[in-house]
Amino acid sequence: MKILLLRWLAFAFVVLTLTVLLSGCVVTDGGYGYYDDGDIGAAYYGPADVYYGGWGPAYHVAPYRGGEHRETSEGGHASTRAYRAAPASRSMPSIPSGSRSGGSHSGGSRSH
Amino acid sequence: MHPQNSSILIDFVTQNQISPQMMRPDRVGHFLKQGLLAVLLGVVCAVPVMAAPIQLPAIVEPASQEHHFGKVILVELVTPDLAASKQFYSGLFGWTFHDVQASGKAYAEALLDGRPVAGLFHKNVPSGEHRQPAWLSFISVGDVDTAKKVALQNGAKVLFEPHSLPDRGREAVFADPQGAVFAVLASSSGDPSDVLAAPGDWIWSSLITSDPDNAAGFYQKLFDYEVFELPASEGAKHLLLASDNYARASLNTLPVNKPNAHPHWLNYVRVEDAVKMTAKVLALGGRVLIEPRIDRQGGKVAVVADPLGAAFGLLEWPDTESKEVPK
Repeated sequence: MKILLLRWLAFAFVVLTLTVLLSGCVVTDGGYGYYDDGDIGAAYYGPADVYYGGWGPAYHVAPYRGGEHRETSEGGHASTRAYRAAPASRSMPSIPSGSRSGGSHSGGSRSH
Repeated sequence: MHPQNSSILIDFVTQNQISPQMMRPDRVGHFLKQGLLAVLLGVVCAVPVMAAPIQLPAIVEPASQEHHFGKVILVELVTPDLAASKQFYSGLFGWTFHDVQASGKAYAEALLDGRPVAGLFHKNVPSGEHRQPAWLSFISVGDVDTAKKVALQNGAKVLFEPHSLPDRGREAVFADPQGAVFAVLASSSGDPSDVLAAPGDWIWSSLITSDPDNAAGFYQKLFDYEVFELPASEGAKHLLLASDNYARASLNTLPVNKPNAHPHWLNYVRVEDAVKMTAKVLALGGRVLIEPRIDRQGGKVAVVADPLGAAFGLLEWPDTESKEVPK
């Protein structure tokens, strides 16, 4: 009888363990460092020891500022680009400048 | 499981597997039934408790109907030490935190002057994985499922299938064709307004990638960006992505011939003095990855990492130098 009882307990333990594992499952992403955390959303760990640097003197990342004349890139041909470049006549946009209290918003915002 | 079904199962087992010699009086059978029912009940109850969704806060409060597709509207950090991360960002930018806990999971909404600026959640690095925390950029979209379709058609991988979260909206995580990871979010509470970020808030994003041309094409298809070309050093490319007449992100060539250089999104917090802030980063246990350097028009940028390794940028930006360009 004890053996039977142990069998049932073992069976229940297996069921419980599987349930726990399935409900809190971890899905690997094939190397991207992304883990599906089920209900919490994106659990993203990046690659370790990522190299930063190699930014030469002309390596710029910041946006343009207001009132600036648009410089254009000299390289590249329209036919070889993988994107549609904005026409040269378009001024270079910058980031939003309105203050929160002033309530200045983009004229291009979309409401639904 | 229905108790009657359990009873049938036990009856079946007892009739077929327990020999008459083993049969003891009703006590044992009764005990067995009760034990099994208890286990089954435990399992049935445990599943919904363990699967109960954590209630993540809305990204805009009070909710608005404003949307800015293509804008980075949320950044989230996953960290194995939530307390240490909170301490660092609180000390650096003065962020405060609203803790959300459910089902043994911990999430902290970071606030700057009472407004949400970021989300941090705790998760241990899976054992055996050599990974480090990273900030994940969420870009606004109108329809996450359509974004998934377009992303897949253009060479992306889906890392996190479209998924709805109460109060947050619908989100998904992709790796672009070059491997940079980003998320899309259709926020159910609207998108943050297009205003100048306050010091301590996120102000800018850049994608540093191995193939800027194709990356620009990919993101343009996904977010309908305008793409502006900027002068860059020889062999490099510098593009600017814009939507709603505002610059949203820069796109730069990943420096070549460097080990461990991976395409990635990098987000920048607005600071008044990049040099002072990098000193503060060091004092708080972080690292400086790129020393403060002059960027366009005299402003300084720096790239730093928090004590757990998550990288982010610091960008100086005076109050008066932004511009909306009418179409």
